[in-house]
Amino acid sequence: MTSEPNRVVLTLALLALLIVCLGDFASVQANRIVPGQGLGLLAGLGWPWMTGIVVGLLGLAGLALRPTGRRYGLMLGLSGALLIQLPVALAWFIQQHISAEQPYARVGLAASCWSLLFIGALLLVELQQRVVAGRHWVKLILVLLFGVSWLLIGTGALAPLALLREYSSRSSTFWQLLYGHLSLVGGALLASLLIGLLVAWLILRVQPLQRPVFALLNFFQTIPSLALFGLLIAPLSYLSAHSPLLQQLNVRGIGWAPALLALIAYSLLPVVRNTCVALQGVAADVIESARGMGMSGWQVFTQVQLPLALPVIIEGVRITTIQAIGLTAVAALIGASGFGSFIFQGLGQGAMDLVLLGALPTIVLALLADALFSSLASWARAGVQR
Amino acid sequence: MIAIIKYWRGPLFWLALLLLAVFCMGQFEFLFRQLTPDAAEVIYHRESFAQLLLNHLLVVAVAACLAIIIGVLAGVVVTRSWGRDFLPLVSQVASIGQTFPPVAVLALSVPLLGFGDLPTIFALMLYGLLPVLRNTLAGLQGVAGSTLEAARGIGMSPLQVLLQVELALASPVILAGIRTSVTITIATAAIGSTIGASTLGNPVIAGLVNGNTAYVLQGAVLIGLLAVCVDSTFERIQHGLALRYGG
Repeated sequence: MTSEPNRVVLTLALLALLIVCLGDFASVQANRIVPGQGLGLLAGLGWPWMTGIVVGLLGLAGLALRPTGRRYGLMLGLSGALLIQLPVALAWFIQQHISAEQPYARVGLAASCWSLLFIGALLLVELQQRVVAGRHWVKLILVLLFGVSWLLIGTGALAPLALLREYSSRSSTFWQLLYGHLSLVGGALLASLLIGLLVAWLILRVQPLQRPVFALLNFFQTIPSLALFGLLIAPLSYLSAHSPLLQQLNVRGIGWAPALLALIAYSLLPVVRNTCVALQGVAADVIESARGMGMSGWQVFTQVQLPLALPVIIEGVRITTIQAIGLTAVAALIGASGFGSFIFQGLGQGAMDLVLLGALPTIVLALLADALFSSLASWARAGVQR
Repeated sequence: MIAIIKYWRGPLFWLALLLLAVFCMGQFEFLFRQLTPDAAEVIYHRESFAQLLLNHLLVVAVAACLAIIIGVLAGVVVTRSWGRDFLPLVSQVASIGQTFPPVAVLALSVPLLGFGDLPTIFALMLYGLLPVLRNTLAGLQGVAGSTLEAARGIGMSPLQVLLQVELALASPVILAGIRTSVTITIATAAIGSTIGASTLGNPVIAGLVNGNTAYVLQGAVLIGLLAVCVDSTFERIQHGLALRYGG
């Protein structure tokens, strides 16, 4: 165990201390229109709570000066506590500053609250590699954080939060948009997997096709999303105007059709590239020895090549999914359903809480997809090693 | 001279198309008229295309330069012996940050900086930083220890080792990161129209709002040509660098 100070934790803790002392913690708005009034930690939460946070951060900095194995555990615990107390602090803030007679009053998060959240997350990232079984402790902290938030939301203690006020006036739209967002991403993913695996299979067979196919797929990736969406509108509306069948399917110049087509075009490159790289990466002697054991071509493919290639293919799907989640948000501009609707509506009305209600779920979806496919890939990798 | 033109013919071709589209869009009015027979105006006139192109390039250039400077500097700092403590955190943040959708980053910069070019540049810089940083780290860490030993052995100072050995050997990888970064930046700058930046996204957004397909098409063609033109330029630079280093 080294006794060198951990400069990362030290820097982060002191930075958090500085922002917490200078910045506003949260702001109170009488209604959606009027500008909010920001309150610092002392004015917002009172001195006992402020002392707790300051002592916690100072303790973190102190432990970081002479870190040992046990002290890293303590630091992780302190960082977790700092994060988990945030929703409770917000509930306390609301109880202090919002009375029940103000149904339109709302509380927005301000600089020091956001930076505590952000720096807390950075601390977890830094500390998880320093502590035995750090990953599992971080998962526990995140579960507790979401659990506490969920509980407080359930009891209504956090209802005046601006984000929740926006949600409660649009809850049915929110779930529709989630459904729309997920079905576009899912549809594009499914289609691009089908087409992509087929294309990969084809160009592995017919080598001369590889260069032109990759050139085309790379070309699609270069075209900015707004341009590709825009370029698809004119031909699709022409086709739709001349085909009753397409009209019945609700294929028009704007809406889900151009969005899905563009998403598939963007998704093909990661799928095809990773599949090709993965299948070509299976060493020839491995295939040779599988044949030598008397496996048929199909058996070699399903029992040797595919399992060995699977982690890399899943990595391609991960990239595709994350990309598609972001692009679907942009597709709201051409009338496709997704969280982008909230973002662009909010920007249009200058309502930042509504922008947040669209942007945060989009980020959460991307992070969840990242976590899901990363663990799928490591599961597939573990399967290979068994 | 002819050899130079031949080497750069790809980018030059796209540049010629881009300039043609910027300055001669009006000549194609009869084509756009077919798309929107009922519209009062078929060619976008609110700002000139040249003005939009220039501002688009300006926004992208400022954001990309900042992203490259900060990204490469940060990558260098955390791979020095005195900054190595920060390496795990920075490389983790660089990879987690890339899962954030660009449009969300763009939207979230509005509460911080308001509407206009400034928040767009800020968001583009922040997002464009990640690929540069990630590739700088990969490139610098890919330099073999024995190479560094040899460079020190012949009496190079740490700065000389960094500039003439490490960054030189890492330059193809860093350039690949810059290419990714600029591609994303050009695309996201177009979406920046929705937060008040004046870019080639303006005709697209105006066309979508007014149901004018001709506007949308004009903006889309220009954005697409710009992206392809810049990307093919990078392709040539990378090609040249690969030739020089025998990669």
